[in-house]
Amino acid sequence: MLTRHPRREPTLDSTLLTGAAEWCWYIVAAVSYITAGIWNKWLLNWLVGPVWLVAVVCLGPPLATWVRFELVGRLIGARR
Amino acid sequence: MSWAAHQFEVYAIQAHLPKKMIGRVSFWAIFLGDFTPDFLAKFWVYGFTINGVHYGADVPHQWHRGFPGMGFTHTLFLGIALTAGFWVWRHNRGFAIGFLLGYAAHALTDINDSVGVMLLFPWVVNWTSQTWAYAATIEGGKYLDAAAYYSSLGLAMDVFWLIVVLFSWRVLTREHWRTNVVPADAGVWAFLSRYLPERGLLAVYRSIFFYGVCRMIAWTSWAHLVARPIIDGVARIGYPFDLSWTGPHWIPALSLRHVDPWLAYPVAIGLFALVFVAVSKLWEPMGRSEQRHRAARTPAPTPVAVSEPNGGWSSGSSQEKAGEARVD
Repeated sequence: MLTRHPRREPTLDSTLLTGAAEWCWYIVAAVSYITAGIWNKWLLNWLVGPVWLVAVVCLGPPLATWVRFELVGRLIGARR
Repeated sequence: MSWAAHQFEVYAIQAHLPKKMIGRVSFWAIFLGDFTPDFLAKFWVYGFTINGVHYGADVPHQWHRGFPGMGFTHTLFLGIALTAGFWVWRHNRGFAIGFLLGYAAHALTDINDSVGVMLLFPWVVNWTSQTWAYAATIEGGKYLDAAAYYSSLGLAMDVFWLIVVLFSWRVLTREHWRTNVVPADAGVWAFLSRYLPERGLLAVYRSIFFYGVCRMIAWTSWAHLVARPIIDGVARIGYPFDLSWTGPHWIPALSLRHVDPWLAYPVAIGLFALVFVAVSKLWEPMGRSEQRHRAARTPAPTPVAVSEPNGGWSSGSSQEKAGEARVD
């Protein structure tokens, strides 16, 4: 019998980022910031740059986890 | 002026501290020292425009690096004065030394553009190697300045500092952050840890490097792939590179009264070495002074009656320990 996965809320969890996962989130932050910065040059400043990285690294992993569980939950729900 | 070089040199200093200072010099002080000259002077260089009215310096390069103007903010004189002020105020050796090293790095790196800095202020003469053109103007603003910088040897300077940091890549690792950076600024990191998980704290530490890399790539990409400038009446796709001395040729290199450019590098390197030697010599005496002041600030232990079989008296041992923290 299929059971629905418990819904997870995005939180500032304490997951350590290591290895490939760490690189992945830093690259996501860099590519998104550079792309946004080229077209919105006001973003390229002392404040936004560091905040951008911290925001992506802190919010990205729990958000990804939440999205993954949400999608899996919906897929399972659709099959039922 | 230099752009991302100022972000990279924070980590370059952190990576090349003398052995006795490792883990004891404040990373945030190095950052603050490196950040302060432009924080004090640069906002008015580009200025801002509201309803068609421009507010800012009439002569940006004079304001930024000259005197009269805010040129004294880019001098060792002010760096040493501010460091002395911090030292007298807090007697925090790790902070004072870090601030001075960061400040000196910023002031000395800025000799490379065509305006240079007043290295020996209050002697009001600029020192410049004229490696690339200083291009901050009212008409061109920040965008033209960025385009000129990232079309000239300024880009090479940023890449040079990036390579210096990458050769010292361990400075960016979690291990280095935990063992060398956090102990020197334990209070700041403890405060931030109330709001951020460890991966966020590490990101905070790396964020200045991240910003340097990203701004270098973003401005270079914009200047050479996206911008559509008209140079000498010709519409172009991107600003042209010119890696010649005092380039790029397509913008006039602004300047102030200065010494022979051949003198700039030897004197700047000599001054930085002097700062390093002075800091090394002062390290131990400052440590002893810090210890004395810390002990003097610590309130005398208050006797507390307790019903223990140790004679009935106990003292505030934690306070004593705080006053006796090892500072050599």
